[in-house]
Amino acid sequence: MQQRVRNAMAIASAAGSHVDPVPDTQGRWYVFARNLHTVFSAATANRGAKLGFFLVLALIVVAIFAPLIAPYPADQMGAGMSLLPPNGDYWFGTDEFGRDIFSRVIYGARLTIQVGLIAVGISLTIGTITGLVAGYAGGWTERVLMRLVDVVFSFTETLIALAAVAVLGPSLTNAMIAVGVAAIPFYARVAYSVTLVERNRAYFDAAYVAGAGHLRLIFVHLLPNIVPPLIVVATLGVSSAVLAAAGLSFLGLGAQPPSPEWGAMLSAGRDYFTLAPWIMIYPGVAIMIVVLAFNLLGDGIREALDPRQKS
Amino acid sequence: MDRYLLQRSLAALLTIWITTIAVSMLIHLVPGDPVQIMYAQSQGTTPEELEEVRQRLGLNEPLVVQYVQYMGRVLQGNLGTTIRGEQPVLELLLERLPNTLALAGAALLIACVIGLVSGFIAAYKRGSWLDTSLMTTAILGVSMPHFWLGLILLFFFAVRLQWFPVAGNGIENLVLPAVTLGVTNAAIIARLTRSSMIDVFDQDFIRTARAKGLPKAMVLYGHALRAGLVPIVTMIGLQFTYMMGGAIVVENVFGWNGVGRMAIQAIFQRDYPLIQGFILMFACIVVTVSLLMDVIYAWLDPRIRY
Repeated sequence: MQQRVRNAMAIASAAGSHVDPVPDTQGRWYVFARNLHTVFSAATANRGAKLGFFLVLALIVVAIFAPLIAPYPADQMGAGMSLLPPNGDYWFGTDEFGRDIFSRVIYGARLTIQVGLIAVGISLTIGTITGLVAGYAGGWTERVLMRLVDVVFSFTETLIALAAVAVLGPSLTNAMIAVGVAAIPFYARVAYSVTLVERNRAYFDAAYVAGAGHLRLIFVHLLPNIVPPLIVVATLGVSSAVLAAAGLSFLGLGAQPPSPEWGAMLSAGRDYFTLAPWIMIYPGVAIMIVVLAFNLLGDGIREALDPRQKS
Repeated sequence: MDRYLLQRSLAALLTIWITTIAVSMLIHLVPGDPVQIMYAQSQGTTPEELEEVRQRLGLNEPLVVQYVQYMGRVLQGNLGTTIRGEQPVLELLLERLPNTLALAGAALLIACVIGLVSGFIAAYKRGSWLDTSLMTTAILGVSMPHFWLGLILLFFFAVRLQWFPVAGNGIENLVLPAVTLGVTNAAIIARLTRSSMIDVFDQDFIRTARAKGLPKAMVLYGHALRAGLVPIVTMIGLQFTYMMGGAIVVENVFGWNGVGRMAIQAIFQRDYPLIQGFILMFACIVVTVSLLMDVIYAWLDPRIRY
């Protein structure tokens, strides 16, 4: 994740120069929409990003239509004999309770999307506001906020997530909160560095001279302009969040059995994996595909936004 | 340079100070009555006994007093005793720490060797099939959950092939966890090394060195590698703190007897003194390592010395 922040910060300036100063007549939604367009056209121009985009799309489709795709309910015990190897009826085999692993992996996609959305939602919201306010306000507010961000940043994400779960107690919801909180500094740093660039642009001075208030300057003028790098960080952030939450669940600190969360499935299957390796193979492959998808997408957008990173 | 180091040291101290505040207040953030939660698993604890524990932990004092008392103890090297077994926390942690450091160190070595070499080759052969396949492998490696890789390695090399023992704490038990942790991080190092080296290859002084007809090896090792290594050194410091975090998970996969495994057990047992001690110790290690990296960075890169 640290590398991602550095990369994202590196593109902060590039992204800034990428977006031309906006004529005031076209409005903030225009800026926002154009920035989104920049990001997505960038993403589709890159091979890896295209693959990532389709994988993400596939994940969403699988999650939405899980009940239609999965042949059995996720927690139906005795759907088959226990520990059956993969075969025509049970594509990924069955686990120690005779549950269909394929169905469980399919339903697990829903939990993974939840993890990604909630964890990244927390870090993106709090991180962006912190970075924006620090970059906008300057002076003491800036020093205190960014010092605090640095302090949190200097612990590893794992430690913060562990501490948060130690306080809140093990559950998937708490794991999502823990992972989200742990990643706040990354978003804050990126938002902060882009805000510093944007604050010095003509449109900002114009809005300031025209008498816009603090909130208006921050949320209406600055926010839409710092979107592209934040999208990169958030996309890569989903993959980190999914990995971290699965790790917590694997340790028993996140989703609890019988949840079909992938990390929890790996954890539950540990005792049987010498007898039935398929129990641990498929949930692991599922995690890897999702993480890979968001990594490819995020990398692709970043490369497209920052020509210097291109190979 | 002195001013820079002074600044970094102060920042490090500030970080540790804030950590002590957070750690000492940790127990109050727990929803519900922490004493009751801690003792929920032991049967027959009377309200009087619970009150006594509350007294002993000083939980009835005002927060500021609690913090001062806590700091007083910590500065004397007393991190308290565990709830279960009443063992001194510091002793327990120090007993297990060498195992975790050995794991993280071995993993870092593996990660650096694989990561630096393949990143450098990929950058040098930029755009070739070699670059593409190395970087494809790297992004797969970055996306792989290390606990899963650990399970797979355990299955093949310990269970099927029986090359390594499944559990234990000998040197032969270190191989699989170190490879697990090392390989996933090698991928990250390879990616960073590649982009760092590509930046350097594009710079004017490399073109000058080439143009004036220096031997290729001299340009590579004398000019490019030296310049490219500077950001990589800091990154490796970050990687080490990363490894310490990753070790927590990997230790649990392999039953490696380090602090991470103990911390997870402590979380399950709600042994707050042990959790607090673990977080504080971990934070100190991470902060010290990053400070060390700042020093090395400043020493390597003359531009930092302002």
